[in-house]
Amino acid sequence: MTKDYTLGKVVVPALRGVDLQVHPGEFISIAGPSGSGKTTLLNLIGCVDTATTGVVSVAGQDTKLLSERQLTHLRLHTIGFIFQSFNLVSVLTVFQNVEFPLLLQRKLDKAQRRERVMQLLEQVGLANHAKHRPNELSGGQRQRVAVARALVTRPQLVLADEPTANLDSVTGQHIIDLMKELNQKEGTTFIFSTHDAKVMNHANAVWRLADGKILDRLSASEAQRAMASGSH
Amino acid sequence: MLQLFLIAFRNLGTHRRRTLLLGGAIAGVTALLVVLMGLSTGMKDTMLRSATTLATGHVNVGGFYKVTAGQSAPVVTGYPKIIEQVRKDVPELDYVVQRGRGWVKVVSEVASAQVGLGGIDVEAEPGIRKVLQMKEGSLDGLKEPDTVLLFEKQAKRLEVKVGDTVTLSAPTMRGTNNTVDVRVAAIAANVGLMSDFNIFVPNSTLRSLYQLKDDTTGAIYLYLKDVSQVPAVQARLRQTLAAAGHEVMDNDPRAFWMKFEVVNREGWTGQKLDITNWEDEISFINWTLTALNGLTGVLIFVLLVIICVGIMNTLWIAIRERTREIGTLRAIGMQRTRVLAMFVFEALTLGLLGTLAGALFGLVVCLSINAADVAVPEVVAVFIMSEKLNLAVNPGSVVGAMLFITACTTAISLIPSFLAARMKPVTAMHHIG
Repeated sequence: MTKDYTLGKVVVPALRGVDLQVHPGEFISIAGPSGSGKTTLLNLIGCVDTATTGVVSVAGQDTKLLSERQLTHLRLHTIGFIFQSFNLVSVLTVFQNVEFPLLLQRKLDKAQRRERVMQLLEQVGLANHAKHRPNELSGGQRQRVAVARALVTRPQLVLADEPTANLDSVTGQHIIDLMKELNQKEGTTFIFSTHDAKVMNHANAVWRLADGKILDRLSASEAQRAMASGSH
Repeated sequence: MLQLFLIAFRNLGTHRRRTLLLGGAIAGVTALLVVLMGLSTGMKDTMLRSATTLATGHVNVGGFYKVTAGQSAPVVTGYPKIIEQVRKDVPELDYVVQRGRGWVKVVSEVASAQVGLGGIDVEAEPGIRKVLQMKEGSLDGLKEPDTVLLFEKQAKRLEVKVGDTVTLSAPTMRGTNNTVDVRVAAIAANVGLMSDFNIFVPNSTLRSLYQLKDDTTGAIYLYLKDVSQVPAVQARLRQTLAAAGHEVMDNDPRAFWMKFEVVNREGWTGQKLDITNWEDEISFINWTLTALNGLTGVLIFVLLVIICVGIMNTLWIAIRERTREIGTLRAIGMQRTRVLAMFVFEALTLGLLGTLAGALFGLVVCLSINAADVAVPEVVAVFIMSEKLNLAVNPGSVVGAMLFITACTTAISLIPSFLAARMKPVTAMHHIG
């Protein structure tokens, strides 16, 4: 697939023919320098943007054939998002932030929602902070709330755009450990972008991106060596 | 939905200064609207109460009698039979009275004035005692023949007091002038414009002045239990009186004394009945209400436009500030309609809270003004028929005003909310950088 952005009269190619397949349960990292197209690729997989050419198929559905409403439905039921800047709703409490996707889904009753949210908050170690507002939490705690929110609907796929970029290394490590743990426990597929070699070390596989193209698919150790040698 | 309300409510709380400023403006307009509506309704109530006691019933059966084609008198002949029929045809009737009416010159030793003359039977008029406040003498003095009730201003102009004699001079139906001397039995407090050109004498005195028969009167005043029934009763009487063989004039919603010219131009002779209502009889001062309502409308419109622009601007700012939030919510699966609802709820919540506060403040202002018994300037008193400001608050109107302003502020919020909802998730998130 390709993705071009038009800036005035200039067409800027963000992705120039990317072809990849991700299997259920994988824990994949997309690595590459700034401007390599990591975020664009995640946006396309997450159905928040559409490819200029090519096909994006999520959970067996060709996203090009779906309406805006169906795409939103797909995101709600199939995909979880973790953002670099946490992107929590500042006026809601931790509990309400995590509960929000469940309210949008309207599948569970109040008691079931409460049980699910508290279970997730326990898992991310924030059960005692359920009534706090995001601005009362540290960066790491906020990202853990974001992880809980992404996982609360039991999505098949979780996309994380540089989830550790705004965190210190120890907290970032904790978040990646948490994601890995949930990946193994729940079998959720994770795709996360990073340019941090330590973070990509946890991935099953690393897709390396440069100038809008996939250079290669490496194992974590291969990727780390490649990063260390500075090769593209 | 509850969560969307919660977000809206808390967002308003987060931007306290902005919310207070805009909510205060909405509250101010609502309060102003409530006070102006109270003033308008109060004026209308006062006018209704005063006018229907002094110069008209809720519905009137009046008319003109013409001996020759060019000479008319505002009288109803054979009124007892008409009253009998009215009692039969109008079950909504509270009570009915008959009053003579005319136009006379009242002359004292030092001055004279042209005034409308009302002939009353004091004992048959329960309403008049509630409206007229005696400054001197007693209303019961009118039980005696050849007496007169004047208003303060007239008494002052004529330089008379209770016990003095004045002369009434008026042309009879046959065109000759007649006079009668009457003793001032009572002087009542002014009740606005009506007291400028109305005096009252016993019906017997009026008949004697105009040389009328006993079964002739000026008009039959019908007082209804429910004023809202006026149009229905008026329409019914037109039919039933016509069916009973009376000639009924075409509807002309003006006071009887404004119709002489038209009636005198017409070629018929004899008796014609004219069915009017209280608004017709005071139509010449009703413009004050229309003007007040018009002014209220213009003022509220201008203020509403300002508020709507404020609401729109505030939402634009809120949307700009929360572009990232919109993008996030859309990304995690919120449909466009819910994003729209979220911002509309914000305007709705602001509108409801603002109008509620404004309505309460407006009510307090109205009650305070009523409690303070505020005297109005003479020129205002003339039109509102009262020397004191009376603000009548109708709960239905207050709720209506609240809903109207809330609806306006909510409707205007649809524009920025719709554009926020249309935003692509990636655009919203990209905006953040």
